[in-house]
Formats: sequence, C-alpha cells, structure tokens
Amino acid sequence: MTPRLKRLFIAVIVIQVVFLLGLVGYRESILIGGRTAVLKTVPVDPRDLFKGEYVTLRYEISTIDRSPNTAIGKRHRLQGGFSEGDTVYVGLHLPGADQFEVQFAQTGKPANNADLFIKGRVISKVGETITVEYGIEQYFIPEGRGLEIEQADDVKVRVKINRSGTAAIETLIVDGEDWRP
Amino acid sequence: MTEETQKNDPAPIATDSTQRSEPEVAPTSTPAPVASERQNWLKTRVDKWRESGIISGDQSDAILNYEAAPEEPFRLGLRFNRLIVVLATLGAILIGAGIISFVVANWQGIPSIAKLALLIGGQIATYGVAYQIQFVRGYPRIGGAIMSTGALWFGANVFLVAQSYHFTTDNPDLLIWWFLGILPLAYIVRSQSITVMAVVIFTVGLAWKAATWSDEIESFFPVVGILLLSAAVIYAIGMFHLVREKIKFHAGPYLASGALLAIGVTYFLTFEEMFRDSSRAITGFQVPTGSQIIPIAIVTIIAAIALGMTYRLSSHVHQKSVPRFAETAVVVLVVVLGWVLITLPFNSTGFYVVAFNLLLVLLIFGTITLGIVNKREALVNIGIIFFVIDLATRYIELTVDMLDTSLAFIIGGLLLLGVGYGMERARRKLLTQFGLRESSHDT
Repeated sequence: MTPRLKRLFIAVIVIQVVFLLGLVGYRESILIGGRTAVLKTVPVDPRDLFKGEYVTLRYEISTIDRSPNTAIGKRHRLQGGFSEGDTVYVGLHLPGADQFEVQFAQTGKPANNADLFIKGRVISKVGETITVEYGIEQYFIPEGRGLEIEQADDVKVRVKINRSGTAAIETLIVDGEDWRP
Repeated sequence: MTEETQKNDPAPIATDSTQRSEPEVAPTSTPAPVASERQNWLKTRVDKWRESGIISGDQSDAILNYEAAPEEPFRLGLRFNRLIVVLATLGAILIGAGIISFVVANWQGIPSIAKLALLIGGQIATYGVAYQIQFVRGYPRIGGAIMSTGALWFGANVFLVAQSYHFTTDNPDLLIWWFLGILPLAYIVRSQSITVMAVVIFTVGLAWKAATWSDEIESFFPVVGILLLSAAVIYAIGMFHLVREKIKFHAGPYLASGALLAIGVTYFLTFEEMFRDSSRAITGFQVPTGSQIIPIAIVTIIAAIALGMTYRLSSHVHQKSVPRFAETAVVVLVVVLGWVLITLPFNSTGFYVVAFNLLLVLLIFGTITLGIVNKREALVNIGIIFFVIDLATRYIELTVDMLDTSLAFIIGGLLLLGVGYGMERARRKLLTQFGLRESSHDT
C-alpha cells in the first residue's frame, strides 16, 4: 500500500467513526435539547432473531383522520393533499392533563417556531385517513421483559422533539411510572 | 512494507503466481500426474510445430515440461486459497459476532460510553489487525478476510447505535449509510469481497427504500421496476470499470450482481400470473407520484452517465464495435423496460409477458456470450443456471395440461438430466478454454 493509499485508508476509518459518533451526538442532542411530549401508545411485542426483543409502538397520533364528519376529523386541521411516501409535519397540542393530541398536519414545515410539531412519513392512505410513521415505533428492551409492557393497562411514551420535528424516545411510562429496563 | 507485499492483490485466475509473495501456499513443482485435455491439445500442436520445423525437439520438450508443471499445483493452490479465505472469514466473523453479542447480552449493564467504546474500538482494532496482516506481514487472504469483517462490523455498529437510541432499525437508510461507509474502503484496499458486500447492500437498500414508498400491493410494479433499473445501473458501472485500467479489478462483482439481478427479476416477470392476478389487475396499479419519480430518474441518469462514459472510453481500449453497441443496447433496453414496468402504459397483459420473456432469453444468451468474450466465469455460470431454470419452467408450463403428471415428471427429469449433463460439459469446455487463453496471456 502506497503512503497515499495508507492516508486514504486511515481517512475512511476516521470518517466511519466520525459518522457513528455523529449519529450518537445527533440523538443525544435531541434528548438533551428537545421539547418534551407524552404520547399515548398501544404496544405489541415482537421478537426478532437478529435484533433481540423490542416492542412495536403504535401511537394515537399514528392515525390521522381528515374526515370532517367524524368527531376526531373535526379536531384535525389538515392542509393540502397527502400521498403515500410524503413527509408530513404533525402539530401537537395538550388539551388534557398529560398527553398530546394532533392539532394539525401539513406537508410543509410549520413557519411558527412556537408550535410543537413532529415530522413523519405517510405510509398509507385509506379514504380520508392517513397512517404516519415518526421513526419512534420501536423500543428495544431486555429479553423476557416484553410481556410486562404489553400487559400493562396504560402505556405512554415520553419523547423529545427537536426544532426540525425529529423525535427520539426518552422513556416508556408504564401505568404512570417511568419504566426502568 | 515491501514492494512485494504491495502487489498482493487477491487477483483473479489470471495472476502470475511467480511474481507474488504468497506465504499461505507452498509452491510445488511436481508434474501433473494425469495429462489433462488441455495438455493433450498442447502436445498435438507442439508435435505438429516440431514436425514442421518451427521448433526443435529440445524446444518442444521444454514447452511441454513448462506447461505440464504448473497445472495441478496451480489449481490446488486456488483451492487452498479459497479454503484459507473461507476459514479466515469464518474465524474473523466468529470473533466479531462474539464481541457484539457480548455487548448486546449485557446491554443494560454496560454504561453507554463503554458500549460505544467497545463497539467502535472493536471496529478500529479489526481494521488495524487487517492492515498489519495484509499489508505489513504480507498475508493478503487472511488480511483481506479480516478487512471484510471490519466492513461488516461497521454495518453492525450502525444498526446497534440505531437500536440503542430506539430509532427504527427497519430502515433502508441504515443500509445506504453502511454502503457509503464501506465502498471507498473496497477500492483503497483492493478488496473484491468488500465490493460484493457493498453492491449487495446497495441493491437491498434501494429495493427496500422503493418498497417503503407504500405498504400497498399497488406498489409492486414500481418496486420491481426500480430493481430492474438498479440492475442496469450496477451492470453499467461494471462496464465502466472494465474500460478503466485502474479500477478494472472491481468490475466483476458489479457485472455479476447486475446480471444476476436483471435476469432474476426478469424471470419472475415472465409469468402471466404476475400481471393477471386478480389482486394485481394492471389497471388498478398506481402511477408513481412525484416523490417516487425523483429517485427513479436519478437511477436512470446514473445509468446513462455510466453507459455514456463507458462508450466514450471503450474506443480508447480498442473494444470491438459490435460488442460495444450490443452490450450498451441491452442495458438501455433493460432501462426502457424498467420504465415500462413503472409506468405500465399498456392495459394488455400479453405485451408485458411477451416482452419480458424475450428479454429473459436475450439476457441469458447475452450474459453467456459476454462471459465468454470477456472471460468471466461468473457470467457464464449465471447465464447457464438461468437457462436451465427457464427451460425447466417452460417444460412444466407446457406439459402440465398435456401429459399425465407422472409421465411429465419422468420425461422432465430425464430431459433435465440430459440438458444438465450437456450444459456441464459445455461449461467445462468453455472454462478450460478460458484457462488456456489466460495462461498463455499471462506467461
């Protein structure tokens, strides 16, 4: 290997490491500096041979109804048409005591920074209802602990959301208490 | 680092072993115990040259001795090389898997910083050991296998970091990041196995990305269409590698992966059921949206650029114009049919079935022909395997309604055995010819 190739070899390894550290730094920055939202979820407990055990989280805000004739549809303020694969910005508000609900959904990034919004992707559209994924649908847990989450009466997720709408899971809240892995 | 170790590329068959430092394989000069077909042919020719007075008796003996000696040791050496690579790769993977599974098993007990240090430290250490063994100590195969494990380790780390921060690991972007991280490495350390890894990861990532456009079955044809386009891009990039001397070494994985993907996808599209199935009525399919057209267009543009540059450069390497035109035309045809599949402009299933059956035949024979012309064993094998698969499929389709089932199976079995025997003989003959040409070219 020539000295030039040797330098390039080291550079590639450095880039790989910087990339991994960058990934960690980015997620940590969301967890440290993001705004907090608590989301209601229904967990299921799949197991994957390669990935270990995790719970799949399906949030109330994963399904957005735009039909004006339904109670939930009346509450959702949707702007623009949505297609599968579209990026969508979902505004959240806190009408009740502890959990956030959908206030609006739109394809463009909200201009008002005061709004709390989460970025997702439309994965299906059936009639007036769209299903959105936010990248926070998996929570990895120690082996054998899935059932205690699945069988709980009330599961919520505390997430942190940065200014561009990217969310990261901080912790699960199981029956009112932070869940310790 | 010695000059010799710098030359230790895991080179293809055409390598001149006398110029290389290969500590894993002990050289031997034992003559071949049994004269092969190749030696018989050579002996006949040399006898004729001696009888015609072109060479003397001594020269004739010298040529025959020279050609007889390396045959068996050369092949034996190749087998040992493969065994060494397999064993070293398995060993390196086992060590890496052991460390990663230790981290995963004790995930909650290890502090985050320590986890990260273990995973990233392990990756750097793997590369360091690989570098020492491959380039400093001059063991290219074992070193290369450990280098591949480093590339695997990087991918595992991408997924483990994603997992530790609970973001979705069912995410094709992770594969694309992995691909981008290891592709330059393949070229810097001249590793065909990392090139293969990168091409496979890219293809799976792209197909997965296409599949995530929608969960609906209506996306089936756009996904298959982009796979066909990807196959054309991968093959076109392989063609570009062939005409650039510096990167020619990496052409094989691109050509083989592109051909395999194109033929594999086309094979599934030869069945009328794929287009006629009630749940996949052609008229019910969606036309791709704007966000889907953009990646499809990017893939097409990359294919066009690769083909254009290849075509321009191929005149400098004195490629004959017929293969130049023919190979480029077939890749363009695959791109066009990929777009046809994505946009589905015709309502008749017949058009698609006929078009993709014709394309399959063209690709199979084209791959075999190009494999022979460019002396690429993998292409010949891919072409022949799919030829037999296609033949068997058409036989079953034809006879399933015409003959009694048991009779159809017996005749089919006999036919397959016969065709298989004939193909294997033809394949061996072709490969022996490759060996002859390559040996004579290199020595």
